[in-house]
Amino acid sequence: MEDTSVVQLHQNKPEDECPNLSLRPLDVSDIDAFMVWATDEKVARFCTWEPYTNKEDGLSFIKNTVLPHPWLRAICVDDRPIGAISVTSNSGNDKCRGELGYVLASKYWGRGIATRAVGMVVETIFDEWPHLERLEALVDVENLGSQRVLEKAGFQREGVLRKYVVLKGRSRDRVMFSLLSTDHRPT
Amino acid sequence: MEIDLSKISLRPFKLEDADDFFLFAGDDQFTMNLRWKTLTSKQEALDHIKDVCIPHPWRRSICIDDRSIGFVSIFPFSGEEDKFKANFGIGVAVKYWGQGIATRAAKMAVSQFFVDFPEVVRLEAYVDVENLGSQRVVEKAGFQKEGVLRKYAYVKGKLRDLVLYSFLSTDFQAEAEGCLP
Repeated sequence: MEDTSVVQLHQNKPEDECPNLSLRPLDVSDIDAFMVWATDEKVARFCTWEPYTNKEDGLSFIKNTVLPHPWLRAICVDDRPIGAISVTSNSGNDKCRGELGYVLASKYWGRGIATRAVGMVVETIFDEWPHLERLEALVDVENLGSQRVLEKAGFQREGVLRKYVVLKGRSRDRVMFSLLSTDHRPT
Repeated sequence: MEIDLSKISLRPFKLEDADDFFLFAGDDQFTMNLRWKTLTSKQEALDHIKDVCIPHPWRRSICIDDRSIGFVSIFPFSGEEDKFKANFGIGVAVKYWGQGIATRAAKMAVSQFFVDFPEVVRLEAYVDVENLGSQRVVEKAGFQKEGVLRKYAYVKGKLRDLVLYSFLSTDFQAEAEGCLP
């Protein structure tokens, strides 16, 4: 059983429209919530996957990818999942590095939720993984919303990596962003 | 001693290169920015040629008059998702630095590689931020600098900032057609 680390952020700023944002593990019982964003082609647009078309595929994904994942959390509003956020881990000479990814149901876009979720991960990941020096994220050049999320969360833009991925049969340029443990907590 | 760059050639490694290989790869300065350990014997050179150079998907000896003075390696990534990308590495014997040999070899290697591996779209080179010599080599060979990746990986136990360069198959075609300087 994964350790249940629940990070909670209470509404304490007047401009916050969204109450009770939290991160918690994602489970098979969340399948219906998962299908809301997983079937949405707006959400899938810059992702490697095609929108899901049936629950069985969703359940397979949760069992085979989500449950064994080194670090993946549901982004929740009032404990209901509206998206997910994850950090990959590497080994050997690459263990200093983890890649951040996140996905949010489109109805919740534009409210600063992804930025807050990223902030919550940044607050905890360097403590949970002391070997992590660098958190990086690769964003499609056309995904301006996601670029803004990372900039607001304090990530540094390092450059455009040309034809870095092949997405749905086409080469895509990606923007590389990073946040170092020392950026976050200068020593 | 000025080397006539037209004498530079690339060919696969042979076991007979072991002595020459040990000469350059037995030098700490040569291996400083590579993941290789400095070789300490001719036997290690022989083993390295047999176990690494010969089975490698694309590694060439850089030769002057058919004698090995360095290597250039291009390693396509494995897996369905990544096989359109490859990683570039190069090293020239220290005594031959500063004469344009590595640049010449890099240009020759890139041209040949895109012919040999037509499915590769993106060639990448990661160069330590302090390794100005190698940065100049890849820049003059036509790679484009994309950015500095901070604390990207460990090389020989030290956390490094690496400059990322790329050379696309489309850059190569454009250059061949005379569209790029």
